[in-house]
Amino acid sequence: MSNATTVDTHALDSDKIAVRQPSRFSLAGRTIWTPLLLSLLLVAIAVITFMIGSRPFNQTVIDVFVRVILVVGLYVFIGNSGVMSFGHIAFTCLGAYAAAWLTINPAMKKISLPGLPEWLLATKLPYWQAAVLASLFAGVMALIFGRVLMRLSGIAASIATFAVLAMINAIYSNWESVTGATSSVVGIPIVRTIWPYMIAAVVAVFIAWAHAISRSGLALRAARDEPTAAAASGVDIPRERLVAFAVSGAIMGLGGALMAHSVGVVTPDTFYLGLTFTTLSMLVVGGMGSLSGGVIGVVLLSALIQALRWLEAGVPIGDSTFAIPKGLQEIALGIIMIVILALRPTGLMGNREVTLFRKKTK
Amino acid sequence: MSLLDVSDIVIRYGRLTAVRGVSFSLNEGDILFITGPNGAGKSSLLRAIAGVTPIVGGSISLDGKSLAGLAPEDIARLGLSMVPEGRHVFGSLSVEENLLVGTGMHVGKNGWRARVASDLEAVYDTFPILRERRNGQAGLLSGGQQQMLVIGRALMTNPRLIAIDEPSLGLAPNITDQVYERLMALRAQRGLTLLIVEQSSTRAVMTGGRMVLMRGGQIVLEGDAREVGTGDQIQAAYFGYEDH
Repeated sequence: MSNATTVDTHALDSDKIAVRQPSRFSLAGRTIWTPLLLSLLLVAIAVITFMIGSRPFNQTVIDVFVRVILVVGLYVFIGNSGVMSFGHIAFTCLGAYAAAWLTINPAMKKISLPGLPEWLLATKLPYWQAAVLASLFAGVMALIFGRVLMRLSGIAASIATFAVLAMINAIYSNWESVTGATSSVVGIPIVRTIWPYMIAAVVAVFIAWAHAISRSGLALRAARDEPTAAAASGVDIPRERLVAFAVSGAIMGLGGALMAHSVGVVTPDTFYLGLTFTTLSMLVVGGMGSLSGGVIGVVLLSALIQALRWLEAGVPIGDSTFAIPKGLQEIALGIIMIVILALRPTGLMGNREVTLFRKKTK
Repeated sequence: MSLLDVSDIVIRYGRLTAVRGVSFSLNEGDILFITGPNGAGKSSLLRAIAGVTPIVGGSISLDGKSLAGLAPEDIARLGLSMVPEGRHVFGSLSVEENLLVGTGMHVGKNGWRARVASDLEAVYDTFPILRERRNGQAGLLSGGQQQMLVIGRALMTNPRLIAIDEPSLGLAPNITDQVYERLMALRAQRGLTLLIVEQSSTRAVMTGGRMVLMRGGQIVLEGDAREVGTGDQIQAAYFGYEDH
């Protein structure tokens, strides 16, 4: 029986005390490999893409980076709090339109979006400044919505986040003079080089990591495991949830801004159920409970989607061409997701992070 | 003035009254055992004191300050730390992370970093096994280790009073002995006040201190644990025999 020895309170091994670090706070040092390795993966993908130099492939990888940002944003709230949110894409929508407002040529804006305030009509910022502002705007809006939402918990909170998405979508689909309603807002400067997207994805990964190991993130993860015990330890759960909601809202906004710059066009329906489903399923397949799960979920599922598209287009085998029927892509993706979740209900990473060293437990 | 004053508490779950008019007080450094059979209202009482369960009547004050309407986290900040029943460790966090949860409340105070570090060392000194397992996942600890971890976690908020719900639940007797030995040592070192819920009075008799016996939401017997717990009345009170 190991129990008898495990609580031997007198075994104060003296040399163990001697080498004891002036404790504090090994957390950052012990976990830094996770964001480093994930970033390395993203940089490697970017470099390979750059060397291949194919235009369509470049665009595909840009989409992957944008989705990495979005899924990492989802992870910050959903992963750490354990509360499912169906509404985060609303903040992506806010970020994308904010980026559009800040970067479209003033002459064009006056015609297409005449309802914007004068100062905004006259503004034309470089895309990266616009992305930072869009991200802040989305974060502040998340803070405002979150103040109301974070009092709720469980399924009530999830449904309320969905209501936020529906609300934002309704506003952006109807406010003709400011958002162009359901018609596309065009003229957003398109950024085709891959590096800004890679940098933003890496930044998102590091923000998510820093939040998760912060006191606030720690308290939130504790509350996810055992809410009563966390409250009894002095954790103010709604407050910590709100912090995560705002941080994740800002990351979603950043993703939205970059998404706008990757295609040059925004419509409200781009940021609705389709994107919500895609990003959530990437997070769930990768593993909701870990940052690595989010990133790896995006990369793997994107690769899978790409491979299926490629098969749909047809692959030459010898003299003949092998192609799967159109539409099989969605079906195959759905089946693969179900199989993964049946075999690994907590996702591919199963709440674990990628790291160089195994945790030392004696 | 006493540290904790509980007066005439009533707790209801819908139409069911779980606790009907319980009063007691605790002085600094006291040990009070709340014992009684299943459904006596012991856990409800403890949860109400920690602010987790609302009360519909009576009052609770800590150090003369009323706890009415305070959230559990605020009560924890005032120095009353509860260890809920069933050893709820934060299973996906490491041992050290478990201990650091809740220390956010110190942030901003003078020298809080040093204080958290020294609190951490103090817990590790009390429970050396936790230092050994500091980077291990808390969910993988044995039952006894988890009990030590939740007590250690409660200590991190620097409480004056710890309220523990059934520390012996599901533990082998020799492990329970060790848990109690540590609790008594903590009381001696820190002048910690202990409020302990246990089903059986055996522990109370072994440990000493004061004891109340609850049944049907009321206190039916109280006094010195060794006297009450070994007296003739205890069985009748525990099982509810009426002899008049």
